Amino acid sequence: MSDAGVVRLLLFRVGTLVCAADAERVREILPRLETTRIPGAPPPVAGLVNVRGTLITVVEGWRALRQPEPPASNGTHHGTTVLLEVGGGRKVLGFTVDEVVDLLALSAEALDRRQALPGIDPTLVRAVGRRAGQLFVVLDTDALLTPILSS
Amino acid sequence: MDLSQYAELFLAESREHLTACNQLLLEWEKHPSGLAPVGGLFRAVHTVKGMAATMGYARVTDLAHRMESLLDLLRRGAHPATDELLQLLFRARDALEHAVELSVVGRERELEVAEIVADLDHAASRMAPGGGPHSPGGRATPSTPPRPDSPVELEPAPGRLVQVTLRPEAPLKGGRALLVVKKAQGLGAGGDEALGSGARVEPGAAGVLEGGGRSRHIRVALRRLDGLMDLIGELVTARGRLNQLAAERRDPAIDDLAIQVSRLSSDLQAEIIQARMTPVWQVFDRFPRLVRDLARELGKQVAFRVEGKEIELDRAILDELGDPLMHLLRNAVDHGIEPASERRRRGKQPEGEVVLSAARERASVAITVTDDGRGIDRAKTLERAKRDGVVDPHADTLTHDQLLRVLARPGFSTAETVTSVSGRGVGIDVVMTRLRALGGTIDIRSEPGKGTSFALRLPVTLAIVRAIIASVGSERYALPLTYVAETVEFGTVKTTVVEGREAIVLHDRVVPLVHLRRLLGVTQDAPPPRSPIIVLEMGERRTGVVVDGMLGQQEIVVKGFDAPAGTLPVFSGATIMADGVPALILDAGGLL
Repeated sequence: MSDAGVVRLLLFRVGTLVCAADAERVREILPRLETTRIPGAPPPVAGLVNVRGTLITVVEGWRALRQPEPPASNGTHHGTTVLLEVGGGRKVLGFTVDEVVDLLALSAEALDRRQALPGIDPTLVRAVGRRAGQLFVVLDTDALLTPILSS
Repeated sequence: MDLSQYAELFLAESREHLTACNQLLLEWEKHPSGLAPVGGLFRAVHTVKGMAATMGYARVTDLAHRMESLLDLLRRGAHPATDELLQLLFRARDALEHAVELSVVGRERELEVAEIVADLDHAASRMAPGGGPHSPGGRATPSTPPRPDSPVELEPAPGRLVQVTLRPEAPLKGGRALLVVKKAQGLGAGGDEALGSGARVEPGAAGVLEGGGRSRHIRVALRRLDGLMDLIGELVTARGRLNQLAAERRDPAIDDLAIQVSRLSSDLQAEIIQARMTPVWQVFDRFPRLVRDLARELGKQVAFRVEGKEIELDRAILDELGDPLMHLLRNAVDHGIEPASERRRRGKQPEGEVVLSAARERASVAITVTDDGRGIDRAKTLERAKRDGVVDPHADTLTHDQLLRVLARPGFSTAETVTSVSGRGVGIDVVMTRLRALGGTIDIRSEPGKGTSFALRLPVTLAIVRAIIASVGSERYALPLTYVAETVEFGTVKTTVVEGREAIVLHDRVVPLVHLRRLLGVTQDAPPPRSPIIVLEMGERRTGVVVDGMLGQQEIVVKGFDAPAGTLPVFSGATIMADGVPALILDAGGLL
C-alpha cells in the first residue's frame, strides 16, 4: 500500500462473496491448472500445480472461505487461479476464484476498517469497501493462507 | 571500489586455505622434523594475507602478517616442531579463522587479537637469528604490517621477481592473469604461488582463479546450479510434449528434431548434474583437526584415518553432512574409544582407531564412521529401552535395528543413563532427522569390546533420480530406484501376518507390506487383482509397497514444494511429469 494512502486492490468473486486482495501481493493470474492431490493436506488444499517448472500449492477459494461449491465446477477448467505472496513474499500460494472482477485503485479512506459481515470469519477481513454499490471484503490473505501452509 | 560482493568469495577461499593449514599442522605434528608442511603453511597464510589486504581487512592482514613472519623464520631456520610451537600455531590459525569470519560480516572491530599477536611476536623474536627481541630478522618486522591499500608484499626468493599488476579497467582480468602465470610457468617459475598471492588479481574478473598452477576452476553459487537444474527440468518436460506431438503427427522432420532435442537435453542434464558433484574431502578435511583436539582434550590416543576422499556427492547433500558426521565422530572419540590404560587392560593397542570412509554403492554413497572402542552395552541399553517401553518387556535381545531406534529417541541417552554408553544417543536423533531429510538412511553395528560403526547411505544426487512411476487409482507417484530391491506380483507370493501386519515371504525373509491405497486414502475404483509389490530395501529393513500398477521408469527432476499442514510424512518432494502435471515422490525412508 504505497503512494500515500492509495490502495490497489484486485477484486474477485468467490461464490456469492466479492473479495479483494492487496494487488501488491498478487504475483500472477492464471487459468485454472490441473492439480495433483496432496494426501493428508487439509480440505481447502486443492493440490500442487506446475507453474512454468515451479511447484505451487493451490488453495480452493470456496472451501477456504466456506462458500457453497460452484455449480459448474467439475473439478477442472473452471475459474481462475490467483498466485498470492504469503508471509512477506517468502512463499507463493495459488488461490482459486470464480472470476476476477476488477483492479481498483482507491484511497485508503474509502475503506472501512474491519467489521463483521455475515458469512465470513471476521479475523480474515482487513477492511470493507464498496464498488458500484456492492460491498466487498478486503481479505487478510496471510491470516487466511498461512495456517494452511504452516508445517 | 565496493568489495562487499566479494566477501563471500574471500570467505570461501580463506576457509580453504585455513583448512589446508590444519592439515599441514597435523602433518607437522606427526613428523616434527619434516619441513615441507612449514612451506605450505607459509604459502597458505601468505595468500590469506594478500586477499585480506585487497579486501581492506586491516586486522586480518596484520594477524596473518605476524603469523607469516614467524613461519618464515621457522622455514628458514629449519626448526623442528615442538609441542609449544604447534599449540601456538594452532591457536593462531584459529584466531585467523575467527578474524576472517568476523571481518566478512563487518564485525572486524570486535576482534581481540592482542594476546595471540604478542605470543606470535614473542616466539618470532626468540626464533630470529640474532635472538634479541628487537631484531626479528629479515624483512619480517612485526611492528609494521602492510597497509591494506598497499600492494601485497612479495617474498624475496632466489630467482627473478616479476610483479604483474592488471589495471582495474583491463577487461578479462582472470584470463590475462592466467596467461601470465602460464607464461611464467613455461619459464620455470613456481607458478603455484604466483596467482593466489604474488600477482594481485583485481577481483573484477568473472571467476577468481584458484592458485595458479592448479586446474582451472571457477566458483559458481549453488543457487545458479539449482536454477539451471530447474530450467533443464522444464526442458525435459517440453521434450516429453514434443515427443508426444511427433508421435501424433508422424512427420519424419519433427521426429528427427525430437530425437535430436532428446539427446541434447539428456547430455545437458548429465553435464549439469556432474557440475554439482563435489568430492567429499571438501567436508571431510575439517575432521582430522576436530578428532585431534577432542582426543587431546580427553587425554586419549586416537589415530584417525580417512578413506575414499575422492568419492563425489551432490553439493547440496554434502553441505548438509558436516554436522551429522561431527556428531558421530565426537561420539566415537568420546564414548567409543577407551582410555589407553583400559585398552591395555583389555589387550588392545593403546592407540584407538577412528575411521571415516566413503564408498560408492549402486546408486548411493555409503559413509561410515567406525571406531574400535568398547562398543555399546546392549544389556544396559535393553534394560533402559524396556523401562521406557520402547521394546517388548519380554524381549531378551536387541537387534541392530532396534538398538538404533532406541538410541535415536530424542533425549534417550543423557549423562545419567547407561554408564558405559553414556551420551551415546546424544545427537543420533539429530543425525537421523538430517539424514531423512536428505533421503538417506543410517545403520548401526556394534560389538561389545570391539567397537561401533555407523553407516550413512545417501543418494548421490538430490537433483535428479531414476524412479518407478506407480499408479494408485487415477493418481501417479514416483518411487526412486535408489532403494528398490525388486518387484513381485501380489498373489504369486505367500502372504502371512507378522506382529499384526500383513507381510509376504520373499527369499525366506518376511517383508511387511504397505498398501499405498490405504496409506494415501485413495478410494476410487477397485484395486486390480494382481497388484504389483515394489520391495524397498535399506540396510536390513525391507518393505513391500503395494500399488495398482507400474507405468514405467524414468529420470525425474526432484523439486521441493511447500507441504501444507498435515501432509503425510511420506513424500520427499515432487516432480513434473512429461504431460506437465506434478507427481509426488514417495520417500523410501518414510515407508520403511
